[in-house]
Amino acid sequence: MPRQLRSSLVFACLMALFAIAASGQAAPRRPGELAWAIHYDPKTFDPAKVDEQASELVRYLTGGVLLRINRQTQEPEPQLAESYQVTPQGTLIVFKLRSGLRFSDGTPLTSADVAWSLRRVLAPATQAVVAEEFLSPSEVVVETPDALTVRIRLAKPVTGVGKIFDEIAIEPADRPSEGRVTSGPFTVTDYKRGQYVRLSRNPNYWRRDSSGARLPYATGVRLDILNNREQEISLFLRGEYDLIDSLSPDYFAIVAQKAPQSVHDLGASLNTEQLWFNQFPAAPLPEFEKAWFQNRNFRTAVSMAIHRSDLARIAYNGHATPAFGFISPANKLWYNNDLKYPHESVADANRMLAASGFHRNGNQLYDATGHPVQFSILTNSGNAARQKMAAMIQQDLEAMGMQVTIVDLDFPALIERLLHKQDYEACLLGLSNVEPDPNEMMNLWLSSSPNHQWNPSEKTPATSWEAEIDKQMQLQASTASQQVRKLAVDRVQQIVADQQPFIYLVYPNALQAISPQLQGVKAAILSPGPVWNIDFISRKEGAR
Amino acid sequence: MKKRIAAAILLALILGATLVVWLSPYNYAFQDRDAIMAPSTPQHWTGTDELGRDRTVRVAAALLIGLTGATAAAVITITIAASFGLLAAYSPSPVAAILMFLSDVFLSLPWLFLLMMARSLLPLTASPLQTAVTTFLVLAAFGWPACARAIYRGAAEFRSAEWMIQGHACGLKTRQLVRLHIVPHLRPLLLPQFLICVPAFIVAEANLGALGLGVGEPMPSWGAMLLELENSALLARSQWVYLPIALLVVVLLILESFTTEIDY
Repeated sequence: MPRQLRSSLVFACLMALFAIAASGQAAPRRPGELAWAIHYDPKTFDPAKVDEQASELVRYLTGGVLLRINRQTQEPEPQLAESYQVTPQGTLIVFKLRSGLRFSDGTPLTSADVAWSLRRVLAPATQAVVAEEFLSPSEVVVETPDALTVRIRLAKPVTGVGKIFDEIAIEPADRPSEGRVTSGPFTVTDYKRGQYVRLSRNPNYWRRDSSGARLPYATGVRLDILNNREQEISLFLRGEYDLIDSLSPDYFAIVAQKAPQSVHDLGASLNTEQLWFNQFPAAPLPEFEKAWFQNRNFRTAVSMAIHRSDLARIAYNGHATPAFGFISPANKLWYNNDLKYPHESVADANRMLAASGFHRNGNQLYDATGHPVQFSILTNSGNAARQKMAAMIQQDLEAMGMQVTIVDLDFPALIERLLHKQDYEACLLGLSNVEPDPNEMMNLWLSSSPNHQWNPSEKTPATSWEAEIDKQMQLQASTASQQVRKLAVDRVQQIVADQQPFIYLVYPNALQAISPQLQGVKAAILSPGPVWNIDFISRKEGAR
Repeated sequence: MKKRIAAAILLALILGATLVVWLSPYNYAFQDRDAIMAPSTPQHWTGTDELGRDRTVRVAAALLIGLTGATAAAVITITIAASFGLLAAYSPSPVAAILMFLSDVFLSLPWLFLLMMARSLLPLTASPLQTAVTTFLVLAAFGWPACARAIYRGAAEFRSAEWMIQGHACGLKTRQLVRLHIVPHLRPLLLPQFLICVPAFIVAEANLGALGLGVGEPMPSWGAMLLELENSALLARSQWVYLPIALLVVVLLILESFTTEIDY
């Protein structure tokens, strides 16, 4: 072999080995540091401007807050605030701060810092997402009668006080630092775009454990930016990463095979997968099809014909829970335990269709005007579970004489049809619910909303039941009484179960992988999942 | 000799696939929900897929659909290409230049995106059969320019051939010249073009299917079945997942052997 060719081959082999080695490497772990992957770069480290998950996680790990929602009980717990009070009218909130609080740089944290942070969040120029929760942020008045008291006067009572203040990080007044100076457990110390975000323990963090030891236990956190699930799993199995949140059922099976003690199925998540029919009156569909889709009996019959337990068992390898409403049983505070929903029965579904004039001729179902019942179900390509569910629903509905075609579209094309052209018959998609409070779903349920998917942007509610949903959702959004809110949301859940504008299919389960080397983890399905009690999580002594 | 063996294998595959589809108690769409990812059994020779559908029947049906569709699409492509190439070859040179320019423009277009666009224009309620027919028609509609250029080159050389001059001298009309002389002379060119198109269309359909734009569910296609290979968890559960890709490679090799051993 010529020498030149030989040296080229050796060079190519070395490069290939280097590429293989580099592709599976994570940055070196520091002693006591936790490490896991996030899938993209945080858009910002400014806690007031957070509007996506990666930035939200960094804010959670670094930002000190007045109240923190306990992700297991869903109850607010005081943090920087020692105590708080909300007046019965819900228009005045008073926080009493802990004494001796300090920022990570050692400067004292007082009510002036809290007021500054709140005013910054409320200022229109900041464009903070959480400001919308105050309903009329410009009318909110923040007062500081003394160094440890903060008084917040609201023009309108707001709901979910705990959730709102869980999202407002307290920063040093007039010194926004993008996470470098914080009052939370960690501070941002290093960030390499596309590689990692490194957080270090805040030496002045206020919190201590029951024995008086300073928290957090971990010396730091390294968040690797890695958008490759297979590589993430491989690094987890090699012990480079400590956890993986939100595993898909397929990847769950891979990890379970190699490290069965690491995987955890926490049961139903807050997310839903649902099917709905296009009821938009101006949709470019034949009138007879619109009549089917606007017919409650038709929708209910379809719902009754779908074998949800099969969907959960087959499309999700058993890692999903059959769904009948928009609030998951995992959302203990808001789930309607007395919900009555259409039961699964093809015979009853057929009777219901017959009552509306539908009739069978051979294997085909026809409506009262003689049109064969044929329609398509859109879903997004690249989502294996949805594609499987669509194929199974196709067979379930075929048993009733409905001919269904499945159309997989890429997401932009799908959104174009759904939101802009309304040119579709039925759609199978999911909804990711990060927040358990139903207030977060106002844009889905109000009939005037452009996201009211089955019939968007109604000028006036098209039906009496939609008017009732509007009324109940507005009621729960405008009252401070938890009891009244719960009754209103229960009523909405029942209306949705009766009318089936969305035919709920499954709640995908929350699947996580947690290294056995970690201690102090209290798994929870609410975001940020397994690290919600980050203060108490650490690696075991001697863990590599 | 090799060609005969290849033809025999291909014929055996087609015959076997036809028998499987015809005689099997299972329809390619039937979901046996109690036999998800079943292993090889006397009922399901090569097991079932993730929806409990018999893999043998689905692979056999995909083979028949793929071969039939690709062959039909290749016939259409060659017909369009031959018509276009001949028209350009026997037109005045400015017209020929424009026609070939059009063909080059068509050739330089990003065909995959065009295919995706054309395929997405289908009405949503198109049945799986309609989607299959449309997919192959679209492939045929986009596959002709490269062939047209080759045919144009070949046909242009015939203009000064002795038999052409003799034909003109004998008073043959253009139509007669095309039928009696030009097409027979072009056959050595058309046949390999046709044989190249068939595997190319099979692969193109597999690509479109892998993008979710091929043949609609539940009709089986190679593209849709190759999607299973994306799922590494599935690969660990059954080696039969590799059957579609193995069969695809065999079919492509057989078709390839026809083009390399063709007798001119």
